Amino acid sequence: MAGQHNVMELIIPSDFKYLGAVDAAVQDLAREFSCAQKWIDDFSTALVEACTNAIEHGNKYGRKKRVRITVELNQRRIISRVHDQGKGFDFKKYLSHAPPPDPLSERGRGIMIMQAFTDQLNYSFNPKTGLCVELTKACGGTAEDDS
Amino acid sequence: MKVTQKELYGAVVLELQGKLTGGPEAETFRNIFKELVSDGKMNIIVNLKKVDWINSTGLGILISGYTSVRKAGGDLVLCNVGDRIDSILYVTKLNLLFQAFEGEEDAAEYLRKSKE
Repeated sequence: MAGQHNVMELIIPSDFKYLGAVDAAVQDLAREFSCAQKWIDDFSTALVEACTNAIEHGNKYGRKKRVRITVELNQRRIISRVHDQGKGFDFKKYLSHAPPPDPLSERGRGIMIMQAFTDQLNYSFNPKTGLCVELTKACGGTAEDDS
Repeated sequence: MKVTQKELYGAVVLELQGKLTGGPEAETFRNIFKELVSDGKMNIIVNLKKVDWINSTGLGILISGYTSVRKAGGDLVLCNVGDRIDSILYVTKLNLLFQAFEGEEDAAEYLRKSKE
């Protein structure tokens, strides 16, 4: 996939039923680059999680609010940014000091999943545009490694 | 998410199909588990063979079900966990909470023996 570069943008309503479309789009994009299936699945899992948080915590399922997702893939890495239209949260606290959730807690694993399946996770907040989560993962194996 | 239900050696098998994403779906599952427990059906096998993937809110549904049946004296186990979901269970350490089996028969056998 040397020299290739691809960018994709998706805008979805604040409804979990569109998470499948995000996963499918990333899977298709990464397959064009012959990325290994495990690598695609891991990144897509993290991205779906970022979208889950954007819909639930950021936009609070607001019918008029949207989640904007950009994905940029080149021979070295994949970067995705997920923008919601919410009020943000104290992400510094969650990124650095969040204790692991109680095993029986039904919540609190989103950031854990995103961190586990990416190399870098960054948050930024702009009062005018909302919260942006940036996920970065270096390219792993290729589809040939799957066989 | 589609859910089909059947009985196997005294256990209830819930076969899920699609994407387990939580949110508004969570209430449907809470009602399913509530009904099963009130009917005295407290050994549950969740078959994930046809589940493409799961997110953190979907995990919350499984944990909620697990908590409900355990409180009632039963158990909830998983079977046919694919690689992608297995990775998520591993990184969240929920592989330590949920017993997972290759197939429904193995899961049912475990539940049957654990009642003895």
